[in-house]
Amino acid sequence: MVTKLKDVDVVVIGLGWTGGILSKELAQAGLKVVALERGAARDTSKDYSLPSIRDELRYVTRHDLMMNTARDTLTIRNNPSQEALPMRRLGSFLPGDVVGGSGVHWSGHTWRWTDMEFKIRSMYEERYGKNFIPADMTIQDWGITYAELEPYYERFERQAAVSGKAGNLRGRIQPGGNRFEAPRANEYALPALTPILSSEVFGEAAKNLGYHPFPRPSANASQAYTNPDGAKFGACQYCGYCQRFGCEANAKGSPHVAVIPIAMKNPNFELRTHSWATKIIKDSDGKRVTGVAYTNILNGEEFEQPAGMVMRTAYAINNVHLMLLSGIGQPYDPVAQTGVIGRNYCYQTGAGARLFFDGRHFNPFMNAGGSNISIDDFNTNWDFDRGPHDFIGGITIGAGFNTDLPIGYRPVPAGTPQWGKAWKAATKKYYQAAMNVGSSGSVMANRYNYFDLDPTYRNAFGQPLMRMTFDYQENEHKQGRYAAEMVNTIARSLKPTILNEASARTDPWSVVPYQSTHNTGGTVMGTNPRNSAVNKYLQSWDCHNLFVVGANVFAHNSSYNPTGPVGALAYWTVDAIKNRYLKTHGPLVQA
Amino acid sequence: MRGTMFLCVVALIVAAGSASAADAGRGEKLFVECASCHSIEKAVDGVGPSLFGLFQRKAGEVADFRYSPALKRSGITWTAQTLDQYIADPQKSVPGNRMPYSGMPDASARADLIAYLQKASR
Repeated sequence: MVTKLKDVDVVVIGLGWTGGILSKELAQAGLKVVALERGAARDTSKDYSLPSIRDELRYVTRHDLMMNTARDTLTIRNNPSQEALPMRRLGSFLPGDVVGGSGVHWSGHTWRWTDMEFKIRSMYEERYGKNFIPADMTIQDWGITYAELEPYYERFERQAAVSGKAGNLRGRIQPGGNRFEAPRANEYALPALTPILSSEVFGEAAKNLGYHPFPRPSANASQAYTNPDGAKFGACQYCGYCQRFGCEANAKGSPHVAVIPIAMKNPNFELRTHSWATKIIKDSDGKRVTGVAYTNILNGEEFEQPAGMVMRTAYAINNVHLMLLSGIGQPYDPVAQTGVIGRNYCYQTGAGARLFFDGRHFNPFMNAGGSNISIDDFNTNWDFDRGPHDFIGGITIGAGFNTDLPIGYRPVPAGTPQWGKAWKAATKKYYQAAMNVGSSGSVMANRYNYFDLDPTYRNAFGQPLMRMTFDYQENEHKQGRYAAEMVNTIARSLKPTILNEASARTDPWSVVPYQSTHNTGGTVMGTNPRNSAVNKYLQSWDCHNLFVVGANVFAHNSSYNPTGPVGALAYWTVDAIKNRYLKTHGPLVQA
Repeated sequence: MRGTMFLCVVALIVAAGSASAADAGRGEKLFVECASCHSIEKAVDGVGPSLFGLFQRKAGEVADFRYSPALKRSGITWTAQTLDQYIADPQKSVPGNRMPYSGMPDASARADLIAYLQKASR
């Protein structure tokens, strides 16, 4: 039996960064907001303090803050000719499952994506000609510009306590910052984090080779901080337990610190935990949605929550899944190249080297989520000519530890036995003596990388699992080989005693080892309903009172972490709703 | 004569603890480093226990707050002096305590902070 509840103004499905931002802002605007979160409520004082925290087994091996694959997962394959199989254990990516979402266990890296992403097709066509973009590469302009998003980036950075150093203030290059970043109106909310030895060593080497190192911007408060809404942050203690853990010092910009407690104080806001949305319900004319069907996962009770507006704000992959399950928008078909829901799924790639220096002590246990030094010479630097290397996209290169944990982090030279006496001797010898130089690479959209509903496997609610079809394409292989070459050049310049060289990921992609939680696309934003699921305000082209907010709207993936534009787009969407949608209750862009 | 008087003044300051010479106004600003975890309101615990009524209290005695065994065993009674020692380097002062704070090395900053706490925690 389904219990039909009393009508509310807004249902928010998923309470992480975007759900938290939208809940807080829309409740403050006077709307009655109900948030449904599948995970439990946890907070710093009870859950993210000792002795519950700094537990590698619980948080890293057993994924305590992440989605439970026994309840719902994806099926995975590399290409449409294969049969997809369920991912029965988390591996390559780790979506959160808790109040605060993945924003609890992220590292905090907060980048501003630039027009090199938002206008990708126009910029590459203009510089290199139409033929430079392969026929199957379905990249497109996003329909938004950096200038439009700039104030919203700043708003998110201030909310999330982002520490960094500006490299371009209103067009003037600033020493010490990233000279290739797009112009910022103002400095970061907080000064940059203190670099650690491995970061400094890398920065020196990069500089000596003529590159432009800068401290990575990150939502790890470098000092005690109070955000514009009064949320208080402690200073980062460089404790070394950042990604995959909640922050015990309240120093990480996380939704359960930065925005959700403020929503919770508002009588217009109600949170329902353990609430699993199974469907967004469409009106009979298909032009609006009328509410959300959900199940209380503790007792199986089913509810329908009617609402004037629905905000789909879960993890990117899950946002796409619910759109497919709800039958909103036309599912993408890669053969006919029709439909939009599921289209342009993208991942990331990377290549890393490990350097061993006899006699050096890097203290790898001591770091912040973002105490890294990076270079963007091969990323947001448009003067870097991709032509000779024949790839589209960018590579960020950096170094510095991030949560290299006392048990799991075991750097040993290549060729060391993987167990036994020799391994023990090597891990003892090299624990202190090693550092990494790593890179992160963009992934361009491709016709055959997409989501749809699996024909065979179902989740605990009897609904089809979502099927992911993904592999790296030739563009990413070329970019990866170039990234490995640059990483190795920098690494060799440091003359390590031993070097485990970087190599490109050119084997078929595997979901087993952890790689990155930066999944994007599937309901992309764009300029018209033929190539996108939502308009530039993240409003569904099909149902105007449905907004789908998350990295699922990215039309391709860059080498940067996605949370900067995710947060900025959430604020951008809030403003469009408050200032325009509430007056017109119709499409904000005419199809 | 002058020298003697000066010495007396110094002795008085030491005797009175840091309260009289220290700048409680600056201490209030420094408290921002603590405020993400500690409130000074009665019975409002955050990540750390409420600091209301801190002075002359024994360490580990706020009702319902889960302290580390290390702090409970410490036997500390909070005074300007013990607090000063603790805040300077919490792990050195009480090894194994759970406060995720690396310490305030500057003695005059600690004096100002303690002066503020002496006023505000009552």
